[in-house]
Amino acid sequence: MATRRRVLAGLLASGLMPAASWADAGSPAYLAAARRSDGRFILVGLTVDGMPLFDLPLPARGHAAAAHPVRPEAVAFARRPGRFALVLDCSTGGLLARLDAPPGRHFYGHGAFSVDGTRLFTTENDYGAAQGMIGIWDAAREYRRLGEFPSGGVGPHDLLRLPGSDQLVVANGGIETHPDSGRAKLNLPAMRPNLSYLDPHGTLLEQVAPDPALHMNSIRHLAVAPDGTVAIAFQWQGDPYDAPPLLALHRRGVPLTYCEAPPPLHRQMHGYGGSIAVSESGDEVAITSPRGGMVQVFDLALGAFVAAHELADVCGVSAQKSGFLVTTGTGAVHGLRGDVLRSAGSHALQWDNHLVGLAQI
Amino acid sequence: MRRVLAAALVAFLPLPALANDLLATALNDHLLPGFGRLEANSAVLAEAAAETCDPQSPRLVEAFHDAWDSWIAVSHLRFGPTETGNRAFALGFWPDTRGVVPKSLAKLIADEDPIVEDPVAFLDVSVAARGFTALEFLLFDPAFADGSDYHCALIRAVTGDIAITTAAIAGDWRGAYGEAFVAPGSEGAPFRTESEALAALYSAMTTGLEFTADARLGRPLGTFERPRPKRAEARRANRSLRHVLISVQSNAELAAILSAGHPEDAAEIAAAFDRAVDAALRLDDPAFASVAEPAGRFRVEALQQRVREARDAARLSIGPRLGIAEGFNALDGD
Repeated sequence: MATRRRVLAGLLASGLMPAASWADAGSPAYLAAARRSDGRFILVGLTVDGMPLFDLPLPARGHAAAAHPVRPEAVAFARRPGRFALVLDCSTGGLLARLDAPPGRHFYGHGAFSVDGTRLFTTENDYGAAQGMIGIWDAAREYRRLGEFPSGGVGPHDLLRLPGSDQLVVANGGIETHPDSGRAKLNLPAMRPNLSYLDPHGTLLEQVAPDPALHMNSIRHLAVAPDGTVAIAFQWQGDPYDAPPLLALHRRGVPLTYCEAPPPLHRQMHGYGGSIAVSESGDEVAITSPRGGMVQVFDLALGAFVAAHELADVCGVSAQKSGFLVTTGTGAVHGLRGDVLRSAGSHALQWDNHLVGLAQI
Repeated sequence: MRRVLAAALVAFLPLPALANDLLATALNDHLLPGFGRLEANSAVLAEAAAETCDPQSPRLVEAFHDAWDSWIAVSHLRFGPTETGNRAFALGFWPDTRGVVPKSLAKLIADEDPIVEDPVAFLDVSVAARGFTALEFLLFDPAFADGSDYHCALIRAVTGDIAITTAAIAGDWRGAYGEAFVAPGSEGAPFRTESEALAALYSAMTTGLEFTADARLGRPLGTFERPRPKRAEARRANRSLRHVLISVQSNAELAAILSAGHPEDAAEIAAAFDRAVDAALRLDDPAFASVAEPAGRFRVEALQQRVREARDAARLSIGPRLGIAEGFNALDGD
């Protein structure tokens, strides 16, 4: 009887070995960083229903991850100001590559692959010049550094690829930081966030910014709808009493549309959008606030408020076939659609800021 | 039976009166005196500048130090009146990573901009050319302290503007804003609940201490390979260490108020703040010039560590007691 090993050896020898795919990792639908109860940090793959499939050790607290479109490879970013990212083989648990930020750069914690999976783009800080950068890495050749281009602003954080194209959309948060001074914000009176659309060579295609009165509303996290509408989650740096909008929708060539819940519910978000997602069907957008312990749902087409749910330390949110999957720092996982929030399990883990969907657009 | 249950429930619920006492104490013992001193010292500064704009004048220099001291002592209280119309930035524009303060001043001087003659119009000047950082350049930087008539007019405009701005902040706290602050949930109140108002004070304290550790100490420290002493706040006026000391002392006062009623915790928190104050008092390096050599650097790093420990001590016991959401994500968002 041919053992599995012998078959594999034969395939390898004959050059017929099929490339590993996400199926080899159990076909996870999501990735999320987490802290275990013993204090160790891990990257977890979850099923479409939010059940953990596998976990891989991380050397420090993670932030977001980027999933390769074909190969079962996850790029796990450390929290800013992280200097490295790890490329993990989710089928074997092995370390495939380590991305080291070039001298004078650090990662912000988000990245995105090109459609064909040959390039990885990462948000970075050129902190000497206080200039946001997008790093380019060769995902076809051991993730070697290929180059970089300006992100179009200061403090780029989230970065996504637009559906079916290699155009990138970048959340330039506007906040200048320097690794010497930790996470201290160095330019609040002068900060100017923007949303920048760039082609994969760094050409700026379009840029939109909140109006000057809202220049302290940091554009931080993004979600893209199937039709290319970009949903933006803000983090307000001014007086919490001002309670400006925390969610905006952007369609190319059109100004920002702001969405907010009725006043008491809006105030409960505490000026802080932690994560944002658009449902797979593209009809709803959800924004979380761990500080307010609340997730809110809006109708994407109308920009209208739909529902709010109280959920302690909620932050991670990602699209599900119908609605969303939501994770919290208390270990809970919930399914969410409109005004319905239902438990999908609880784990002895603290889910970190982001839940990253593998469904490719 | 129902009545008994109700009584039992009342006994276990946090008493709103207590939270309200904390707010009133914070207002009367920390906010009002702090902003009152800032207003008074700023008025003295403007008067001194009206009398002489000679940067060598002991009276002017002393008034400058006193007024800036009293701003640093309240500069962590960043909500409400300080945030209206960019007032806080107009008083303390730092850090200035792109050198906007000297550039803005140089432009006013090069243009001999007559806006300095009009106190109301001066409120619209870039925040970088207003406040204590700008005034420090005018009094202590030889490139600006040239003794010209325009230099003098600019000093008077900046000090007058500081007096107007600080009086407006203090007035708001004494008036409607202060009243609403201690009556959360009332019509037009900035906070809906006592917890929200206490959370604002708590966050002012933790953010203020983080700023002192990360920016006031972290920026001059730079890295071991590349220390950056010229990035120290207020180094021209030799006040960098003084800002750290005042910030720690003032936040210690706020921490004591927020931990009132829990003497054991309060004592532990006070001891942590005392260690930070001692480290600052022992450091004989007013502008952190010593960060460039290993021994000096070690002492400044130790001070930074003590400030972080004071913050952690306060956070550990005060946060949970005030019921502030400090979950894994709420505390360390990004």
